Amino acid sequence: MPIAIGTTDLISILPIAIVSLFGVYLLLQSVFAPRMNRILIPYLGILGVGLAVVGNFFLIGMEGTAFEGMVRVDRLTVVLNFLFLITAALSLLITISYHEGEHVEFLEFTPLVLFSTAGMMVMGSAESLMTIFLGLETMSIALYVMAGFRRTNRHSLEAALKYFLLGAFATGFLLYGMALTYGMVGSTNLTQIAQYFTQNALDVPLVALMGLALIIIGFGFKVALVPFHMWTPDVYQGSPLPVTAYMAVGAKAAGFAAILRVISLSAFSIAFQWSEILWVLAVLTMTVGNVVALVQDNIKRMLAYSSIAHAGYILVGVVASNDQTVPSVVFYLIVYLFMNLGAFAVATMVAGQNERRVNIQYYRGLGYTQPLLALAMAVFMFSLAGFPPTAGFIGKFYIFSAALQSGYVWLVILGVINSLISVYYYLNVVVAMYMQQPVDEKKIAPVLPGVGVVILVAVLGIVYLGIFPGTMLSVLR
Amino acid sequence: MEMASLLNYTTFLPLLGALILLMIPKTEEVLIKSWAFFVTLTTFLLSLPLFHNFDGSRSSIQFETIKSWIPSIGAGYHVGLDGISILLYLLTTFMMPLAVLSSWSAIQNRVKEYMLAMLVLETGMLGVFISLDLLLFYIFWETMLIPMYLLIGVWGGPRRIYAAIKFVLYTMVGSVLMLVAILYLYFLHYNFTGVYTFDLLQIYTIDIPFGLQLWLFLAFALAFAIKVPMFPFHTWLPDAHVEAPTAGSVILAGILLKMGTYGFLRFNLPLFPEASVHFAPLFLVLAVIGILYGAWISMVQRDIKKLVAYSSVSHLGFVMLGVFAFTVPSMQGGLIQMINHGLSTGALFLAVGMIYERRHTREIREFGGVTRVMPVFATLFLIVCLSSLGLPGTNGFVGEFLILVGSFQVVPAFAVLATVGIIFAAVYLLWMFRRVMFGPLTREENKNLVDLNGREVATLLPIIVFIFWIGFYPRTFLDKTEATISRLAGTMEKARAELHLEKQAPYWKYLVWKGNP
Amino acid sequence: MLQLTLFYIFAVLAVLGGIMVVVHRNPIYSALSLILTLFALAGEYILLMAHFIAIVHIAVYAGAIMVLFLFVIMLLNIRIEERAPGALRYMVYIGVPMAAILFLQLGYLAFKGFQEVYVKNTDVGTVERIGQALFSKYVLPFEITSILLVVAMVGAVYLSKRKLEIVE
Repeated sequence: MPIAIGTTDLISILPIAIVSLFGVYLLLQSVFAPRMNRILIPYLGILGVGLAVVGNFFLIGMEGTAFEGMVRVDRLTVVLNFLFLITAALSLLITISYHEGEHVEFLEFTPLVLFSTAGMMVMGSAESLMTIFLGLETMSIALYVMAGFRRTNRHSLEAALKYFLLGAFATGFLLYGMALTYGMVGSTNLTQIAQYFTQNALDVPLVALMGLALIIIGFGFKVALVPFHMWTPDVYQGSPLPVTAYMAVGAKAAGFAAILRVISLSAFSIAFQWSEILWVLAVLTMTVGNVVALVQDNIKRMLAYSSIAHAGYILVGVVASNDQTVPSVVFYLIVYLFMNLGAFAVATMVAGQNERRVNIQYYRGLGYTQPLLALAMAVFMFSLAGFPPTAGFIGKFYIFSAALQSGYVWLVILGVINSLISVYYYLNVVVAMYMQQPVDEKKIAPVLPGVGVVILVAVLGIVYLGIFPGTMLSVLR
Repeated sequence: MEMASLLNYTTFLPLLGALILLMIPKTEEVLIKSWAFFVTLTTFLLSLPLFHNFDGSRSSIQFETIKSWIPSIGAGYHVGLDGISILLYLLTTFMMPLAVLSSWSAIQNRVKEYMLAMLVLETGMLGVFISLDLLLFYIFWETMLIPMYLLIGVWGGPRRIYAAIKFVLYTMVGSVLMLVAILYLYFLHYNFTGVYTFDLLQIYTIDIPFGLQLWLFLAFALAFAIKVPMFPFHTWLPDAHVEAPTAGSVILAGILLKMGTYGFLRFNLPLFPEASVHFAPLFLVLAVIGILYGAWISMVQRDIKKLVAYSSVSHLGFVMLGVFAFTVPSMQGGLIQMINHGLSTGALFLAVGMIYERRHTREIREFGGVTRVMPVFATLFLIVCLSSLGLPGTNGFVGEFLILVGSFQVVPAFAVLATVGIIFAAVYLLWMFRRVMFGPLTREENKNLVDLNGREVATLLPIIVFIFWIGFYPRTFLDKTEATISRLAGTMEKARAELHLEKQAPYWKYLVWKGNP
Repeated sequence: MLQLTLFYIFAVLAVLGGIMVVVHRNPIYSALSLILTLFALAGEYILLMAHFIAIVHIAVYAGAIMVLFLFVIMLLNIRIEERAPGALRYMVYIGVPMAAILFLQLGYLAFKGFQEVYVKNTDVGTVERIGQALFSKYVLPFEITSILLVVAMVGAVYLSKRKLEIVE
């Protein structure tokens, strides 16, 4: 059999290839130039991500599969690639500022970010269960290591170990589910799986459904759906802040990308079989996330539970399973990227040396000691809570409108009630910043350029998408 | 200039002013205050031509702008004024400069942030009154919460955080369900016509089945009833009022509460006429309970501000009574009463703020005989009180009289009960006035009180001008609303007839949830 | 005929090895016996024309994993199997029935399918075929796997690097 790889094949993985090659290059960098200042490495990483963004422009307009049905390039792929790349670049920028307070070994860190981004992009453009699995593992293993990057901190190591063990456990479920599905369908190709489900829509074999359920559990772990969310708070709390940010946004987006590819698109014709299960999961996830977040006083844990709740909102869009599902979920993921990375960037600035100031009490009086930082944080909190005119509102609105279109009135009502609950704890941060006196007079260091850029991008993104979402929405549809 | 674009400019002028304000350094407090005053005053002056050019004999939307905004989901930037919104729009632009003036010396810290919040708030409120697109309306409606929340929470009294959070959560409870209803309407309109749109005027045209109307009506009504606030949902109001700074109370009472009643006139009645008729008895009862309950509670208050706050519950009960009586005079009266309440209660809060600034207390028993040291204040305060209790010759009389006349035609018993409320109002306001202003000057601190300065007189005087203007010649304002209200009353009349047919079937069967859009 | 003979030889060796793993009290002997079993199984794979799996089996299990086992055993210096009396006794009650069920299942399937299953003259498991598949149809997953392994390696090296002072 001749080896036939065409130009189209190569272009369709261009951003993935660029990012991976840059990762390998950065690993070798220290061999060729051992004297180079380590602080330059993340900038090189950002350069690599930038090149991948350029590469991604070549994918625009392409439609079809490559590598013998291993990857698919369509509009979803392109948008998701942009999303993952922006996440990676912004997280690296946060890391550069984080380095001021706590030493980060960039030599290993930067390639891991790049590889894990490559893994996410593989998941986003997967056309086969095999590529999804490999992408997921590449992403996850890099994240396990990154979670433990503060090697001298007990919590960080605990986070890494916990994430690794539970992640491996989830992988088992996922793999078992994939195997069952493969056993029934006879192929790992998503298009063929979709065909199989369409043909057997009225009488789906139990084994195939079990496979699907196990796959849902596997992905549920990755995006932190209740009841598979147990790892989230500890891992988010223990990981270094930039890693938490990257994990919260990137891993979640990648997980939902996979859910869209496998559940929403491939198993579309048997939506009636799984949508009710996901309905329950969505309600549970939203409620548990929001209610538990109410009592958190550590900003990282609060954001962890909030990220669980947001997974629930996004799942509402998946439950809808109509033509609005993909655009609404992806739009929400984009919005989520900006607001969460922004919030974590502010948290990084406030946390300072050794992440000592992660309690919400340290935000007291921030509105007067650091007005701009506090204003940005307020924007992020209002957006997370879903207030207009921020993008958070449009995102939720679009998700709920998708669900209502399919007639899930009660789901939407529970969703908006949940979003009401969430107002309380997000506003808690605003209350602390603007309505309370600082606990200590210690001034926070001025905002560093790296984080400054992230915050600026995030605020602009939120305001722009909040007031003029039209362009983005028409791109996604 | 073309009026439609003038409307847009006046609406977004405060926001632009806020952006420019961002560049003024924090320490230049006088400049910041002057700038905020200048912006709000300019907004008011620019809005006058709108009032002048508004054709009261037409019931349609005027100064309309329709622009596509989010084409992919059919949301548009559709704004305009009609007889319902024109007066409220003017009330907003009129009250804002006064609110800024009143904060001149009351707000000492974080002046820049305060003025920013005020300016953003003004655009939000103006946006609510002009929006004719459901999504746009909702966005303005919610956006407005943020600056108001900050006004209460940052510059408020000792329990400000509690009051601010309560205000936000209460308001949101209603509005999130309204959001669901808005989405539902959106898909309902699509099912009827095949067009995705949030345009209110287009959604007006669909004939919603009665069973659905009931649910949608309730979802909208909850949001507005909390905002008004109607009787069982009023508990946030005293807290918010007592804790808010003076200007916050003025805006809250003067404008924000009107959004609730405005919402009923703009959305509930025309969108769900039959459901409105169906639920009218409930709302009438709640309105009358609100009138009486608010008045009773006011009587026993020791804090002047709390007294005024509870009197709002009573006054807005009148408005709701007028709205749900569905006759032309009652609804016109309701509309004019919204303006009156904005003016009178706003002025009351201003007056309370003035005396609070001097004595740092609002307890009625701390005062007594204030007339002797502050004669100008006493005169102005008396006029305001009399207007609030509806003395003939002042604006309050016109509104309440129209409401009572209009509602007496259809629900005489309620009208009579409401009249009792007017008597109570006279009792609590005059009693309070006597205890504060007359009698011997017992307290040492009160002997050194300084009378109002020029700025403070300038804050109250414009309101008093309007109190008498509406009191003696309400036609200037009533004429503008005539056509719109008549048409609305016509809609309701038709709905009453149709509902009579519907009611042949047992109505509880409509309350059973049926199907999806 | 030769195939069948070899099959039985390997099968006996595998079972013997397995029994020795359980019976021996010295863990090092147990580990070495396991290697015998693994080699025997690799022989079976070759008989099934699955050359690639046979090689990988030896390389990974006998080569890497068993070395790791021995390494750990020797590092911890365990001479005689240390019995955990309580735990083991209860495990017997679960372990024996589970093993019996598994045995019955496998036996049933093997006998039931005996007529159909025989080794066809297939080359699907040969190194050439698998190599071709890996570099044509599955070239992308193959490359992603290489990235995956790099990530794992970097992670392992990083986490086990020197300079570890844990602070609370």
